[in-house]
Amino acid sequence: MGKDKNYFLNEKPEKMTYGGVFRKINDWARARSLWVVAYGTGCGSIELRPTFTSRFDAERLGMRMVGTPRQADVLIISGYLTVKTLKRVIRVYEQMQSPKYVVALGACPINGGMYYDSYNAINRLDLYLPVDVWITGCMPRPEAILAGFKRLQELIDSGKADGWKKYIENLDWYRENQRKIIKNWRMPNYNW
Amino acid sequence: MEILDKLKEKFEILQSQEKREDLALVGTTEKDLIPLLVYLKEYEGYKTLVMISCVDWIEEGKFELVYNLWNPSKKHNILVKTKIPREAPKFQTIYKIWPQAEAYEREIHEMFGVDFEGNPTQHEELILEDWDDIPPMRRDFDTLKYSMEKFGEREPKSGIIIRKQISEQYDEWRRK
Repeated sequence: MGKDKNYFLNEKPEKMTYGGVFRKINDWARARSLWVVAYGTGCGSIELRPTFTSRFDAERLGMRMVGTPRQADVLIISGYLTVKTLKRVIRVYEQMQSPKYVVALGACPINGGMYYDSYNAINRLDLYLPVDVWITGCMPRPEAILAGFKRLQELIDSGKADGWKKYIENLDWYRENQRKIIKNWRMPNYNW
Repeated sequence: MEILDKLKEKFEILQSQEKREDLALVGTTEKDLIPLLVYLKEYEGYKTLVMISCVDWIEEGKFELVYNLWNPSKKHNILVKTKIPREAPKFQTIYKIWPQAEAYEREIHEMFGVDFEGNPTQHEELILEDWDDIPPMRRDFDTLKYSMEKFGEREPKSGIIIRKQISEQYDEWRRK
């Protein structure tokens, strides 16, 4: 990736600070304060507005939106992912601090959904990013999203939400898959 | 319709039709298209270019460019059409008449491969980054085949859970 090395993860981190004596306490706390990146990739982000505002009020479960990936724990892939968006999503995901979790919303990240024959939308998300919870539907209602987050909390509580660890362990495998569709890692210069 | 009669006197009109009360359609030759657009803009009050569109007539071997104009005072739309050859398609840009045409021409260049001579930004990527095939909106482009080759099968053939298959794929990859 050359000179853009600051944008993406270039090599595996030497040590992962996770575990230890306080792992259970930390996981218990983490599961109860999930901060979500306010980034919508597809049509599913429409459902996130009622989920996070007063109608369904996800904040009572300790979840809220944050504007920057550095402070966030959860990345929601809300709907179809185009090749162009995938590059940005990988960049956002690699900027998040571990432990981090990915929730995939809707049918499109699972198998392409109604865009399975599109020249532009990817078919299976888990070839490119590790996914912890899938929420099916086209699109899932806010109730389904909340149920999915309940499941994510259970997984974090029991220490099973280990997608971020898998990503680091198998970084080369993920990179190989990503390189198959992303030829050019250069990001355009957004100066307008 | 008054405007259609006027146009027939002045230009070579191949087809003309009154679609609705507020919409007319005019087909003209490649050569007469730009004079016709300028005439409509400067003399008849069709000031706004709503959009440019492209149709692929693969059986005839032609691309059809459609220019949609809008007259705000008469509240009337007019569609101006022309056909250009499908092999090495080439047409003149109209971005000096309407600056907003630059973006439409750029999109048509990306999606159909029509070369608009004189458009300064048409070779920049608009939607598709690193595109490596023929332009995707052409009718001879097989989008399902492209998707299968590039993004893989829609679902695993044996019907097992994807998550399990992924961990199997890690293991296979590590063994290599």
